[in-house]
Amino acid sequence: MSTERTNEIEETASDWLVRRESGQWTPADQARLEQWLDASTLNRVAFLRLELAWEESARLKALGAGVPGNRPPPPGQWNLTPFFDSHRAAPDLRGTHVPGTVAADPSEPSAVTDSPAPGTVPRGARQRTGRFAVAASVLLAVTAGFGTYQFWSSDADRYRTPVGGLSSVPMPDGSKVTLNTASEIRVAVNENERRIDLRQGEAFFEVAKDPNRPFVVKAGKKRIVAVGTKFSVRRDGESVEVVVTEGKVRIEDASRSLRSSAVEASGSAAPAAAANNPVFLTAGAIAYADEAGVLVQRKSLVEAEAHLSWRSGVLMFREQNLADAVAEFNRYNVRKIVIADPAVAALKVEGNFRATNVDAFVRLLESGFQVRAAAEGDQIVLSSR
Amino acid sequence: MRDLAGNLAFRRCNVGFMGEPLDTWFKREILIHEVILMRFIARLWPRHDEIADIRQETYARVYEAARDARLQSPKEFLFATARHLMADRIRRERIVSIRAGGDIDYLNVLVDEISPEQRVGAHQELARVTQAFDRLSEKCREVVWLRRVKGLSQKEAAAQMGLAEKTIEKHLRNGTRQLAHYMREDTLAPRTLWNDIDEAKNEEARREHGTDERD
Repeated sequence: MSTERTNEIEETASDWLVRRESGQWTPADQARLEQWLDASTLNRVAFLRLELAWEESARLKALGAGVPGNRPPPPGQWNLTPFFDSHRAAPDLRGTHVPGTVAADPSEPSAVTDSPAPGTVPRGARQRTGRFAVAASVLLAVTAGFGTYQFWSSDADRYRTPVGGLSSVPMPDGSKVTLNTASEIRVAVNENERRIDLRQGEAFFEVAKDPNRPFVVKAGKKRIVAVGTKFSVRRDGESVEVVVTEGKVRIEDASRSLRSSAVEASGSAAPAAAANNPVFLTAGAIAYADEAGVLVQRKSLVEAEAHLSWRSGVLMFREQNLADAVAEFNRYNVRKIVIADPAVAALKVEGNFRATNVDAFVRLLESGFQVRAAAEGDQIVLSSR
Repeated sequence: MRDLAGNLAFRRCNVGFMGEPLDTWFKREILIHEVILMRFIARLWPRHDEIADIRQETYARVYEAARDARLQSPKEFLFATARHLMADRIRRERIVSIRAGGDIDYLNVLVDEISPEQRVGAHQELARVTQAFDRLSEKCREVVWLRRVKGLSQKEAAAQMGLAEKTIEKHLRNGTRQLAHYMREDTLAPRTLWNDIDEAKNEEARREHGTDERD
């Protein structure tokens, strides 16, 4: 069955249901409905599913009593009723839904919860979190031994996540930054400017609109400038990847003066890929920049979003070389996977995986391919069977 | 490849539930698991625009199986059916991927990651319905409210809102479909999995209402 067909059936089912409930329903109509239901079980299950939703919507009556007039209260205003005091913990369904904790809280520096919703964590996820918490604290101990940086201390403009961490940081201007694994940013947001220095790793930015204060992300020798938009920046040494999912950003050399590029920005967007000129990126663009220049790929928004599945702790692979998939996994885990065999490296994998659940991934490889996994110290070595 | 559904050796219970209509049974024992079913499919199926197809096809197969005799372990049968169906599709489409490894037992591995169905209290049920309701467009919300809470007839609702009955029907069609979707939405699922679904719904709603209902 195709997606269009599924959608079409649901539409027809909703039409039948609404007409049946309209109050103008005759025995002839009922006969025709039954005929439609009998024509295909797909019709019937689609109808039953909507009918159940219709029946369940009657639960809302429990709320109607306290609401005067004929209009429902605005969305989210329900906690005026005593019902929701203890149950409002349910996650905000509309939000970006970023799992993990806020990095600025020094009491919970590991930010390792890999479950998107608070409260109802599946058993498996809880176990993973536990295991990972140990790994993270080991990492903390090691880094603290060097004594080189303060971990979310009074140095409030500095945020970082450990390996496997995922963290959402609200900015004072209303923007939001989501930090991926092993990432570090420094933040300067005041009345005059909004500047982020991506020292390491990857971050997703949801920028509050403010034409007077461009939102500037520096990543090594590159700079990404936005006004109000959503984009991510990933830094690997001097290689920078930028994914834009909304609005428009500009990528340029950090050595340019901001003022001169602002003047150009008001002119026509010249997509010159020369290293010296700014490149403009719109939603769906994925740009790879290094010293040699900027390479821009235009993707559908869905594909661009797939690059950002890490925000929910998930890695999505489609027809990916195992070598690349493993490299992705290794970003998120202290225990690294090593491929000992070129034949294994060339295997193609596809699927969605929890970034921190390296065990499940390895198990799948073993069951799906002629691959053997062996634990050697802190590594998992993959070879052909 | 082994027959997964066959392996689980479902026994059918012929005694039945003393004339309870199959449709009622189906809602209570099968549709109730939609959140987890969707999560299950999403974990295993890389193309998320196809999740709804797989879900509906699974439902149809389960309904047909239950037609002769009620299933004794409906939930297990539901998940085995979904798994079986995905295995069928993989074979048919010859997806070159981890799934083509020849052994689809890995599908069983991930089942462990799916949390057991939670029995939720009335308050949580209400919260779930309310949250789904809050995501409807303003007009849709108002129509559903008048019809389902205030108990107005379609005609009365049309008069109250100053809209044609046809328009009321349109809002109700949309409202019901979106409620069905949002009420079963997996709050534990990665947000991205649902973006395209949400987008499609919103797009459709915008087209129908001529309003922008994104927040």
